[in-house]
Amino acid sequence: MNIYSTLQKLCACPSISGREDNIRGLISEMILPFADEVRVDSLGNLIALKKGKSSEQRLMLCAHMDEIGFLVNFIEDDGSVRVAPIGGINFTASSYSCLISEKGVRGVLVPEGKVKAEDFKADKFYIDIGAKNKKDAERRVSIGDFFVAEGGIKKLMGKRIAGRPLDDRIGCAVLLSVAEALWTKELDADVYYVFSVQEEVGCRGSMTAAFAIAPTHSLCFDVTGTGDTLGASSMACKLGGGAAVKIKDSSVICSEEVVNTLCKLAKENKIPFQREILLYGGTDTSSMQLAGAGCLAGALSIPTRYIHSGVETCDLGDVEACASLAALFAENI
Amino acid sequence: MNQIQQILKDRIIKLCSVMSVSGFEKRAKDTLYEKLGGDFDEIKTDPVGNHIFIKRCGKENAPLCLVDAHFDEVGMMVTDILDGGFLKFTQIGGLSLSVLQAADVIIYGRQTLRGVIISTPPHLRDGSDKLAAIEDLLIDTGYSKEALEEITPVGTPVGFAPVYREMLSGTLVGKSFDNKACGAVCAEAIASIDRSDLPCDVALMLSSFEETSRLGGVSSGVYSLEPDYAVVTDVNLARVPDTKKYETVPLFEGISIAFSTATDRALTLASEKLCKEKDIPHTMTAAPSSTGTNSPTVNLTGRGVPVVDIGLPLKNMHTYNETVSLDDAESLYRFIREFVMSKEIAEFFKKREEDIFNV
Repeated sequence: MNIYSTLQKLCACPSISGREDNIRGLISEMILPFADEVRVDSLGNLIALKKGKSSEQRLMLCAHMDEIGFLVNFIEDDGSVRVAPIGGINFTASSYSCLISEKGVRGVLVPEGKVKAEDFKADKFYIDIGAKNKKDAERRVSIGDFFVAEGGIKKLMGKRIAGRPLDDRIGCAVLLSVAEALWTKELDADVYYVFSVQEEVGCRGSMTAAFAIAPTHSLCFDVTGTGDTLGASSMACKLGGGAAVKIKDSSVICSEEVVNTLCKLAKENKIPFQREILLYGGTDTSSMQLAGAGCLAGALSIPTRYIHSGVETCDLGDVEACASLAALFAENI
Repeated sequence: MNQIQQILKDRIIKLCSVMSVSGFEKRAKDTLYEKLGGDFDEIKTDPVGNHIFIKRCGKENAPLCLVDAHFDEVGMMVTDILDGGFLKFTQIGGLSLSVLQAADVIIYGRQTLRGVIISTPPHLRDGSDKLAAIEDLLIDTGYSKEALEEITPVGTPVGFAPVYREMLSGTLVGKSFDNKACGAVCAEAIASIDRSDLPCDVALMLSSFEETSRLGGVSSGVYSLEPDYAVVTDVNLARVPDTKKYETVPLFEGISIAFSTATDRALTLASEKLCKEKDIPHTMTAAPSSTGTNSPTVNLTGRGVPVVDIGLPLKNMHTYNETVSLDDAESLYRFIREFVMSKEIAEFFKKREEDIFNV
């Protein structure tokens, strides 16, 4: 599987939290050749299973397929469309960007005049969809419609890429790549590939998926911050430093057994890795750890600069490291 | 100090000295099994680090009573290793900046190291009247960066140094009484009961992740145990000058029992009645919407568990000089004994479950 071309397809498909139908359709087709069963649960999680020799051990690999965006909550007389954020929108990073609605309506997100950058908040912004007035706007947009920033990625130097929404289509790409690598192998444990919904609004989809699967082990694949850019807060994690083995983020402290196994496997197989502590931000790892009777939970993160902007930046070397390490982990259960 | 208090003191100090920073509870497994295992019929540690000790009453269809005390403690974690043998760190759970400056710490890496927290002295700092931010604090170890990368990699837990001493009137001072003091007392109380006096099976759960997770590891433990009723024990803020009386409980006057929408009213009233009948010192308190303990999670896990919330008064919460009274510890010991031995409570909560299903 070519990760870059897979990512191009995944990033071109808009899918805000709560409306993941488009991306789910796309990923179902991609995962189908590498799974014994594929199903969708009532929340909309896409769950693919590769059967092992026994179901006694169940490994749940999870990446979220939703993305942050905007919910239309009012239309002004002049046809300007007001929105509320869905997920952790950074309005400085989102200002003056091109948006697209679930119905395919295009617009540009702009701040009101004379608003200073430090006052950038939801109520100072509107979407200009090109409407002449309210009535005109209402022909194409209704309250409750969703918009997301337009997706798309580009290659930078070396193995680096930039664009959106790498959070977390890059995790989805890792999962697809792991599924392909494991398909021809005979494994002891059942492996579930879960593409979860509603992560950006509180790690919701993974809760019900994990409850239904009742995994004994789980790994989450998501982006993490880095401390390697000018003026960045201190963080011992960098682009190109390898798979980031999560120790902790603000939602979870990973199971020590999983952390130790991942680090050991990486060392033995010479896969580049780094130990990651993310001080601000949570992941699906937390809901998998405590679902039902609980499981051994860990995460492999993809170091990413400028998260939740239109120019999220990753290193494909780290992505490959995550995929190799995850496959090894599955083979060693 | 009477004989019971002497026993409780020894057990509290033993358990509180064990490292169990939130997320690393499983490292305490061997010590716990060795110290408590002999007093129980079944012991296990679940995937999220709850240590579960079960004592069976030997009767058929006996209800299961859960006694919960979270076993994780607040602490720190290494986030980066700097030149010159300094460690950057973050807090695990809620720590006050004011107690971190110059504290003695233990770093629980591949070897156990001693360290001390350092920062730029106020003489050399702008705003010398303010505390240094946590980002500016470092742990000084005396080791080289290269050595530390081997011994204390990023993610290594750090705790305050365990030092215990006694003040007047049976007051005990040291680290991590929150909440291993309750765990130690509950373990001793349950161990002291003759099995023939039990109307129920008892599961003591020394639970994980209370300090760091919204739900707490207790949710997974309760989900798999499915207890019929439960008592959650945790430390409670003790009264000191300048605190509001309705937000705190006095030291030396026994346990606290909280009325709350997050707990079961019938079980709370039954617990109050038990204290009155058995002359156990106690204070009734009100924690309107949440207790700040494991009670709300226990209450709402699975199909729901009736729970009462019991507090042990404690001063200096989340510092290395937490303070509890051995008189209060004895009250907790007596309460837990009476609670799990109460036929009235066991029968009521077993019957109530049946009534609900027979409607």
